[in-house]
Amino acid sequence: MNLYRQGKVPGSFYDGFGQEAVSVGATWAMAGADRLCVLHRDLGAHLVRGVQPWRVLSQYMGREAGITNGRDGNVHFGDWRTGCVGMVSMLPDMMLVAAGMAMAFKLRGEQRCALTWFGDGSTSRGDFHEAMNWAGVQHLPVIFVLENNQFAYSTPTEQQFAVNPVERAAAYGFPGVSVDGNDVEAMFEVTRIARERAISGGGPTLIEAVTMRMHGHGAHDDMKYVPKALFEEWRKKDPIDRQSARLKELGVDVEALVKEVRREVDEAAKKALAGPMPDPATATDRLFHPRDGEEILLQDGAAPWSGFRAAR
Amino acid sequence: MPQMGVSVAEGTIIEWRKQRGDWVQADETICEISTDKIDTEVPSPASGRLVEVLVQVGVTVDVGTTLARIATDARPGEPHSAEDDRAPAPAEPPQPQPQPQAPARGPAARRYSPVVQRIADEHGVDLAEVEGTGRDGRVQKKDVLAYVQARGGGQAREPDEPAIHIESPYRPGAGTSLSGPYLPPEGRPLSRMRQTIGEHMKRSQETAATCTTWIEVDVSRVELARKQLGITALPLIARCTIGALVEFPLLNAWLEDETHTVHEQVNLGIAVSLGEDGLIVPVVRGAQDLSPEGLSRRIRDLARRARARQLSPDDVRGATFTITNPGQFGSMMATPVIAQPQVAILDVEAIIKRPVVVTDQFGEDAIAIRPMVILGLSWDHRALDGALAARFLASVKKRVEGYEA
Amino acid sequence: MTELTYLRAISDGLRTEMRDDERVLLMGEDIGVYGGAFKVTDGFIEEFGADRVMDTPLAESGIVGTAVGAAVVGLRPVCEMQFADFVSCGFDQIVNVAGKMLYRQGLPVNVTIRLPSGGGFSGGPFHSQNPEAWFMHAPGLKVVAPSTAEDAKGLIIASIRDPNPVIYMEHKNLYRRVKGEVPEGSYETPFKARVAREGTDLVVIAYGAMVHTALDATADLDGASIMVLDLRSLVPLDEDAILRAVHQCSKVVVVDEANQTCAAGAQVSALIAERGFEDLDGPIVRVASPDVPIPFSPPLEAAVLPSVERVREACRQLLEY
Repeated sequence: MNLYRQGKVPGSFYDGFGQEAVSVGATWAMAGADRLCVLHRDLGAHLVRGVQPWRVLSQYMGREAGITNGRDGNVHFGDWRTGCVGMVSMLPDMMLVAAGMAMAFKLRGEQRCALTWFGDGSTSRGDFHEAMNWAGVQHLPVIFVLENNQFAYSTPTEQQFAVNPVERAAAYGFPGVSVDGNDVEAMFEVTRIARERAISGGGPTLIEAVTMRMHGHGAHDDMKYVPKALFEEWRKKDPIDRQSARLKELGVDVEALVKEVRREVDEAAKKALAGPMPDPATATDRLFHPRDGEEILLQDGAAPWSGFRAAR
Repeated sequence: MPQMGVSVAEGTIIEWRKQRGDWVQADETICEISTDKIDTEVPSPASGRLVEVLVQVGVTVDVGTTLARIATDARPGEPHSAEDDRAPAPAEPPQPQPQPQAPARGPAARRYSPVVQRIADEHGVDLAEVEGTGRDGRVQKKDVLAYVQARGGGQAREPDEPAIHIESPYRPGAGTSLSGPYLPPEGRPLSRMRQTIGEHMKRSQETAATCTTWIEVDVSRVELARKQLGITALPLIARCTIGALVEFPLLNAWLEDETHTVHEQVNLGIAVSLGEDGLIVPVVRGAQDLSPEGLSRRIRDLARRARARQLSPDDVRGATFTITNPGQFGSMMATPVIAQPQVAILDVEAIIKRPVVVTDQFGEDAIAIRPMVILGLSWDHRALDGALAARFLASVKKRVEGYEA
Repeated sequence: MTELTYLRAISDGLRTEMRDDERVLLMGEDIGVYGGAFKVTDGFIEEFGADRVMDTPLAESGIVGTAVGAAVVGLRPVCEMQFADFVSCGFDQIVNVAGKMLYRQGLPVNVTIRLPSGGGFSGGPFHSQNPEAWFMHAPGLKVVAPSTAEDAKGLIIASIRDPNPVIYMEHKNLYRRVKGEVPEGSYETPFKARVAREGTDLVVIAYGAMVHTALDATADLDGASIMVLDLRSLVPLDEDAILRAVHQCSKVVVVDEANQTCAAGAQVSALIAERGFEDLDGPIVRVASPDVPIPFSPPLEAAVLPSVERVREACRQLLEY
């Protein structure tokens, strides 16, 4: 955010402040061979899968070393080397892509699943219905994580849908589960169960992760439309604070951890800032993949829970 | 044959339910057909007498083919009519939309398409000479190609020799007083060729006592002759010049320091422009023996090789007289620099139509429009005098104005 | 070599490639049990099974989106939009997800999307469109349009093997009307133009069904020698072939069955104006459908779609210019 305010981050700036457990908890339950469609509030997913912070910051600043080499901005990225597909801005298009990956796994009889995140607002668009329906009718090993953070930009959920999507999952033929999105351990557990169901042929699950967006839709948004009381209530439920408290009880030196992370991030910022901008001459490159080019497919990402470290 | 489905293209008659002469009601089944998608009965489109069956059982025809004819003006109960041999009214041919007509152009307003101009340039064609077979007499690509074919006997023509004249290297003084500080741009060294040309020009200026004399010449006959021969004016003027050199051999000479050599053979140097790179003067050896066509061919070949940088050292040595012909840009007169060690050089500028006074056999004067050119002769006063130069020019003029092919 | 209809050639191409490459699967509405609305995939489900000949829900966005997902994990989906007209329902997935993925994320998307396009049989506004221009305009998509049976087979195989998203325009009015000799076995047609007929006085540039219209219109036109250039590939556009034809003939008629404004022919015309100017002996003439939805009633439709007579007259006028 500081870098953005310093003008070092072009374009708009989005973050998932206050929602970190949704992405971290869910990704933690994934296997290396599983595939993810990561959305714009889910930076934690990229970090868990193994993307290095300096590359994330390079990406935000439009540097050559960013995951998209400056072709797309902020969190519109997915490092295929970690098994993540980068998002598009039209939401929730990625639900269909995740369903498609799951479809391929099922057709080939593979014990893997696909997962995607999407927001409460995006469920109003047709692709939500097409993906839910497709996944339900084909009984696909896909996990749909609905990040209900109460607001789609300035639109509260009361103006977004008449019936909460999690209740509508049954209408598509599979369970909808609601969970405290700010409890990382709960998030992990519900995703783990959904994954089990998926890879054992049980079909899709819709997980509603109930959370709150603590910053504006983007850095340009001052959130005046959010009632102060609501904001305060959720601040008390901050996911990182809660997990820190748990760890402290277990005797973990949280302060040291935070200091270590801060240091790592500062170094990453320095390294990213030192990196060059992309060469303008390459602006029209990589539009088509050559016929004789190497086949590029998504690769496995890190899966710390299962102890899987992707080969680099 | 009906179309039983969007992509069906043909059908086969399975059975005729009605025979020729039968009465058929509208919507009554008249035949049965089979297609890719479906077999079906075909209801009659009208009531009347079936007068002709055109497609037999088992035959496959395209969708839209007429299968039978029904006489709709027949009445039931009437005897079978003879075969209806009225030909169907021919379908109205679709009226083509009239294209917007290009505004009528008189010959004076002729415009030429890019490809026509390109071909004309490549082959040295004067488009005014080409007859157009396009709309309103427009010259089409095939017209100019046909012209080239007919004119050149089928050979590809080289572009005209565009020899540019040897410009006087003298320049008026460059630095007049300027107000305010002036920051000149960065200069670059001259090319090798430029330097060589420049040195030659300077040397000539410093060596010879150069003077220039001009004469005005009516080239009507030469213009006529060149069209007939299919060549340009230069070889014809060169031919006349050679004639004059034979008559005045002192102009066909070298002056090296004190040594004066008069040549019998005319080795004619023809200045050829190499664009911005500079110029070069290849030589037509023994030009006195060549006809205008021969001169034309030789000049074209030298010019082509000059521009392709394919001249040998022998090609550019030994000229006894030089002609330079930069007239294509419209300039009238010039003061050419003599190519050492020659004693003279003839400059041929643009041929321009001008009003001139002509006197008829009764001594009456009238104004006529004639193509005129100004010939300029730079000559070395160390080797000859102005009178000789003037007589030489007069000889050239007489030959040109009295030219007969 | 066997003589096949254009439609059978497409089937043959799909079948050949599916036998050679088990990663290929077909996805579309009614393509499995029913064999396809036009019977292109008749018999396929019996040979390859329901997993590889997938009857999908009625969801164009779904078909394309899931195909993208399947492609990035190693399958080679061939999607069918039942009619080209319905592709607009999947436009977003094609243009924004499939088309931009490689450029942004370095991840190629090998999907082929078959569009049965074109009119001429009273299909009306929603079953007769030629939407190729929308996709020519979106970066990251290739677009091809065969006109002969031989090319229909070769191009579908080449499209499947191309690692990028390819929009395959199959003209449904040619399905059974065009027959030709088709080589047996597997082969690819390059994404380049083809000279359908040599000529020197004028060239008609066309693709798809209009190639046949052009050939008919110019077979015997006042003794003139008229070239017909079949583009076959719209993205990439075979610029060399186009400019060579213009250099040779100097007079150009460009035919689109699609609506005139910004059709493929407009791009061809701009290319010629920009890079073939010195070779032109007359204005570039375009024949296309006017900018209206394709009407249903036969006399209206015939008045809209470029007919043999219209193309013929345009050529005649230009020859005289």
